Amino acid sequence: MENQFFLNAGIPAHAPPSQFGSFLSSSPMSDWQSLSSAMEIQSQDCFPTTDYGLQYESALSSMVSSPTASNCNISGDSLMIRELIGKLGSIGNSGEIPRHSQPMLAASSCYSTPLNSPPELNLPLPKPMGLNSSVADFSADPGFAERAAKFSCFGSRSLNGRTTQFVPKDNGEIAAYRSNPLTPNAKLPRVSSSPAIKAMASQVGGTNKNTPLQDRSQLVNSQEESTVSEQNPETGLKGPSSRKRKAVPKAKTKETSPSPSPSPNASKVTEAKETSNEKRCKLSESNGNENGSGKAEKDAKGSNTKAPEPPKDYIHVRARRGQATDSHSLAERVRREKISERMKLLQNLVPGCNKVTGKALMLDEIINYVQSLQRQVEFLSMKLASVNTRLDFNVESLMSKDQIFQSSNPSLQPIFPINSSASAFLGHQPQQNPPLHGNIANGTMSPCSVDPLDTAICPKLSTHLPQINQFIETLPQYPEFCEGDLESLVQMGFGQNQSQEMALHSQNFHGSNQVSDMKVEL
Amino acid sequence: MNKYNPPRMNPSSLRSRFATRFLRSLSKINAKKPTASSSSPTEIFRRYRRIKVAADKSMAYSVRSRRTWSRAMLWKLRTRPCCRRSVKTSTIVRKTRHEKQNKNTTTTTGEDGVVFGVEADELRELVPGGEAMDLYNLLDETAHYIKCLTTQVQVMKKIADFYSP
Repeated sequence: MENQFFLNAGIPAHAPPSQFGSFLSSSPMSDWQSLSSAMEIQSQDCFPTTDYGLQYESALSSMVSSPTASNCNISGDSLMIRELIGKLGSIGNSGEIPRHSQPMLAASSCYSTPLNSPPELNLPLPKPMGLNSSVADFSADPGFAERAAKFSCFGSRSLNGRTTQFVPKDNGEIAAYRSNPLTPNAKLPRVSSSPAIKAMASQVGGTNKNTPLQDRSQLVNSQEESTVSEQNPETGLKGPSSRKRKAVPKAKTKETSPSPSPSPNASKVTEAKETSNEKRCKLSESNGNENGSGKAEKDAKGSNTKAPEPPKDYIHVRARRGQATDSHSLAERVRREKISERMKLLQNLVPGCNKVTGKALMLDEIINYVQSLQRQVEFLSMKLASVNTRLDFNVESLMSKDQIFQSSNPSLQPIFPINSSASAFLGHQPQQNPPLHGNIANGTMSPCSVDPLDTAICPKLSTHLPQINQFIETLPQYPEFCEGDLESLVQMGFGQNQSQEMALHSQNFHGSNQVSDMKVEL
Repeated sequence: MNKYNPPRMNPSSLRSRFATRFLRSLSKINAKKPTASSSSPTEIFRRYRRIKVAADKSMAYSVRSRRTWSRAMLWKLRTRPCCRRSVKTSTIVRKTRHEKQNKNTTTTTGEDGVVFGVEADELRELVPGGEAMDLYNLLDETAHYIKCLTTQVQVMKKIADFYSP
């Protein structure tokens, strides 16, 4: 009962970690696809478990031990990353990332959402220089191919066969991995063009293969390099936010960065990916901030991607395009999103809030609803206090339980039956029954204390007035009282002092004579 | 007190827990009422207060300490001035203090931050224990509080309907 309310709040299923583990261990693309689909589902929640991110990180780090990254510990990641980025950048053009490479980047962010438009991450080439060195190291790493093979789960079967060049393989795999979330088919062709990657690998400084290189780089470095590249620009541009990132992903980035990805774009992609892995929150490229180098992709990336990142110890957020990237604003944005999530939940709980837009109005509705519920509880307790005087409670408690559980009364609309029954025993005892209107739907329910006093009790009224007034005062004041309530009151048949509320306000409750006067006053 | 529950009903649901406790306390309250003054307004008023407290207490106990508002409500009920026994509230007091330590700025900064200031304070007054929570937790507690309140209202309504002629 309670879970259903908070299920959609983003409580992640435990599928991702297991899936992740399986994906890491096995190679078929289906695993990744299933994982990606799971990720997509999880992206909505934005709260994937931390396990899968950690698993991925560990897998990547174990698989890829680039010479540069091998000795890197978490603290020294940024430097290593810059190196790798420089290396990679040297391979391909510095800063030129073809637009089609964006989908790769997007794919990484697609970790979160499948709808990532490709040009989402303008990670391109923040620091191509840094990649140059990394490329050389990467090419020198013979074991990289093997490690890249482990990425087969990325789904690029075609790439698996290519062991000649670890670069293409890794690229392809990673590209496939990255692209799978988005468009597995679309990315694969690019990935399959390993010859381009080979050329890229061979030509450290070659600019001919920029396009494929960039693609590959994006594919390969999707996770690591993007993070790497992103680290570089980000460290400069948004120091605090980059600090937010965990060092672990950086390590992962460094290790995987050896792949010869030419462009910082790829690094950005990887970084985005890693950040998504590490933390939850959105991946929105900080285009304006990081991509100082004019990237064509920028235009394409207009949307922010949400990466379902596993909740790590702290939340990593990417700054959206055109937004500030300082840590305060990022944290603020995260907080606002959480709050809006909760508001949506509350909207489902509070009836009639669907039409209300805006947080202020929603809060007002919520406040009214809570007040009305509290008043209802008081009203019902007063009713029970008057009712139970006559009944043998113990005997019938059993039966009442059946009734309680049998009938479902989801909405508070049927208050009228209570009012009618209340009036039934109004004749017996004086009651202060605030009638609860059916206006709960619009949240403006203002229970009016209808006349508790019957005509039969009127004679006693004067004597009991002080106590009744005392009792009335204990009831919450009803600041809101729409005219509709008055009419409904009349319709309910409480011909007498229906405007008990007015009595509350006016404090001159003397009986039915004042009904009309009170109404006028109100 | 009867512990009978229909088989189809989840015996551990919030509703059943609350209903059980509330009926139990209701029976206690009704057991000690003097029949002579049962119809006097003061007596009814007193009973009303007791029933209201019983309802709140039953609901808070049904939720236990899982929620901030339930803890705050239990603490408030225990430290009522009319409470006869001296209850050890040290643990609960520590909790509320701890909650207060977690209090962040109530007014959120940002484009919509300013708007939340007033309404959030109102909500804090409504939800027990809401003074020491930031907006996000406050909304969380409010959601759960609304859920429990609706359960409470439904159960009490059914009881009242059952007993009303």
